[in-house]
Amino acid sequence: MNLNHIVYISRAVRPLTDQDLHELLEQCRRDNSKNHITGILFYSHGNIAQLFEGEPEITEALFKRIKRDGRHSHVQKLIDKPIDVRSFPDWHMAFHPLESVGFSQLQGFLMPDRVPAPPSTLTIADAMLIELVRLAVFGTPTEQAFPALPGPTSV
Amino acid sequence: MREQHLHALLHHLPAGVATLQGLDLRYGYLNKAMQELLGTDVAEGQCVADHPGVLPSDLVDVLHQVYRTGTPYIAKACSLPLPTQEGKESVSRCYDLVLEPVRDEENQDITGLVLFAVDVTQQEEARQRAHTLSMETRRLDARLRVLTETVPQITFSLDAEGLYEYVSPQWYYFTGQPPTADLNAIWPLLIHPDDRLRVLYQGDAARKAGKGWSYEYRLRRHDGQYRWMLSRALPELHAPDQPVFWHGALTEVHDQRELSDALRRGEAELRFLADSIPELIWTATAEGFIDYYNHYTGEYSGLTKEELGPTGWVNLLEPRKQAEAARHWVKSVATGEPFEGLFRMRRHDGQYRWHIIRARQLADERGPRWFGACTDVDDQHRLREVLQVQYDELARTNRDLDTFVYTASHDLKQPLFNLRGLFEELRRSASFDDPEEEQLLSMVDDSLHQLDSTLQELAATVQDQRGLSAPVEKLDLRHITDEVLLGLRAQIQASDATVHVEVTEAPTLLYGRANLRSVLHNLLSNALKFAHPERLPVITLRSYLSKNNKPVLMVQDNGLGMNIPKTSTAAFQPFTRQHPQIGGSGVGLYLVQRILTSRGGRLEVASTMGESTTFTLYWFEA
Repeated sequence: MNLNHIVYISRAVRPLTDQDLHELLEQCRRDNSKNHITGILFYSHGNIAQLFEGEPEITEALFKRIKRDGRHSHVQKLIDKPIDVRSFPDWHMAFHPLESVGFSQLQGFLMPDRVPAPPSTLTIADAMLIELVRLAVFGTPTEQAFPALPGPTSV
Repeated sequence: MREQHLHALLHHLPAGVATLQGLDLRYGYLNKAMQELLGTDVAEGQCVADHPGVLPSDLVDVLHQVYRTGTPYIAKACSLPLPTQEGKESVSRCYDLVLEPVRDEENQDITGLVLFAVDVTQQEEARQRAHTLSMETRRLDARLRVLTETVPQITFSLDAEGLYEYVSPQWYYFTGQPPTADLNAIWPLLIHPDDRLRVLYQGDAARKAGKGWSYEYRLRRHDGQYRWMLSRALPELHAPDQPVFWHGALTEVHDQRELSDALRRGEAELRFLADSIPELIWTATAEGFIDYYNHYTGEYSGLTKEELGPTGWVNLLEPRKQAEAARHWVKSVATGEPFEGLFRMRRHDGQYRWHIIRARQLADERGPRWFGACTDVDDQHRLREVLQVQYDELARTNRDLDTFVYTASHDLKQPLFNLRGLFEELRRSASFDDPEEEQLLSMVDDSLHQLDSTLQELAATVQDQRGLSAPVEKLDLRHITDEVLLGLRAQIQASDATVHVEVTEAPTLLYGRANLRSVLHNLLSNALKFAHPERLPVITLRSYLSKNNKPVLMVQDNGLGMNIPKTSTAAFQPFTRQHPQIGGSGVGLYLVQRILTSRGGRLEVASTMGESTTFTLYWFEA
């Protein structure tokens, strides 16, 4: 099966409220599970970044739709290339809700500090891209700097 | 009948009519409208002077004057207060009052006056409104004029034919033209010849299309210099698609344009420069995504900018260094600290070459950006590596030889001493039948003396140079070990060795500094040299106290191991080499043993071929 992944960053036109984020999460989960799209979306203070993977026709169509979405602007595609295997088993969204109560129970929601390390199925270049994207969205982590990249491998 | 009709008509006329009779101007006929105007206390036969009703007193004076002179008079828009009616406030209304003298039948003497009052309130109000409006218009007009003449821009109006209708005074200041100049003739001539046709064409085209325009051109200033101007105009439409005028403004954009031209030029030149340099040059956004690779990067890597992508540079590094470099870069982006590292980068033909990768962040008003360069230092690096290996080899050989000479000269002293004793004994007990005996004997004696002093000088020279004879001192084992490891760092890095130093049990040693260094150097460099090719070297160095409470040092490796002969001292004979395929002068272990025994200690070795070797040094236990 052919697979592709796309990474982009963008800016929300206006800050998203908890309600907006909740709706976005529900809508994306529904659509993505129907289209067999997996990946992760980061949101913080109007900064958006997403990695998604799936069949090339579907990822292409999805990106076209995302680009037209009026809720964000300055959509900048960073990468769009074929991959051998999926790196994400599911689709998740990571953001800081104002009221964390209720969100923690939500399917597909992640607190930004709970985002797992980039899977080892990603190349180091792609893992670094995800780390940079995460840094661009959430800013400098206050603790536990860069746990995500794999450690040095001895031969 | 007819008179009656006329009377009725007169009575109901919407204008007021009254006659005033006689010198004292008594009211005669008053029609309905006049009666309402003057009020109910005015009646026929009364004098105007006594009962003027609402008529102002100066009008009463005028009435008398008209009567006297016979000249008619019209009082225009005379405001009269209407008689107050019950429950209503008095209001003023405007009347045109016409005073007409009435003459007798012979048309001679004036017998009275006719007074007409026509209500012109509405006309008057309309006139007032028009007046206020025109005042306001004039005020706005003045304001607009002040504004258009104060702004730095030149404002202008064109009619449908493209002829100038108005231009603000700034145009005259700018161009230095006299106020009498013919705008339509002069203006095109002041446009830079290179821009003139384009501007005239663009203006005409916009007017024909009924649209506004926005274009730039150079206009000649009063000092003869051409300055870039931005011309913008919009049509004034009188019907949906019938523009009658175009109004616009001319803004001087010369400096901005020069600046942006200079920036564009500067940027193009820098890019050309970056593309001409045979080094990998790149820039990255604040987020750390590479957005420019110079031409040489493509040439070196054999990859396009798209193939490299925002983070693809890391793929060029050695696979086992990629994660480390990626972590380093993410950290630099997070903190803004410069990035610097020595990496091997893959060329298009698959060969890896050493590069110094450096990147620094530039933060100015345009926001932070990264500028990086990868400098090929492969040749220097290789040369340095070769030199380092040679230098280490020479230094070690030199040291070994020094120590060897010292020990050898020391070891030769005893046989020499024996020889001298034997010789003395021989001279005393034996006799020779040779006349030159005495001479021969003294020659042998001299030679023995010479040999003795040479050996002593030799030992003394090396001793001084190497500090082997230095007195003992209290030495920090960890400190000395670190010094030795520093000297061996090239070998440690090359073999990726791990060295465990455990000296807490017996951290200090009373010994000669140079001796301890020599011992440690020989044992550690041997352990590194005879590492097993299939695993990373792990060396353990442990200092502890023996049963007799004396310090002991153990050095253990996981290397090739050695074959220990039955007589365990054989391994420590000079020039005995356990692994002929590995370079060395073969004096290392011999020297270690010599040093130990000379200071009253001993060396033990245990080894399993292909697994490990353990040296145990009893410093003070023979």
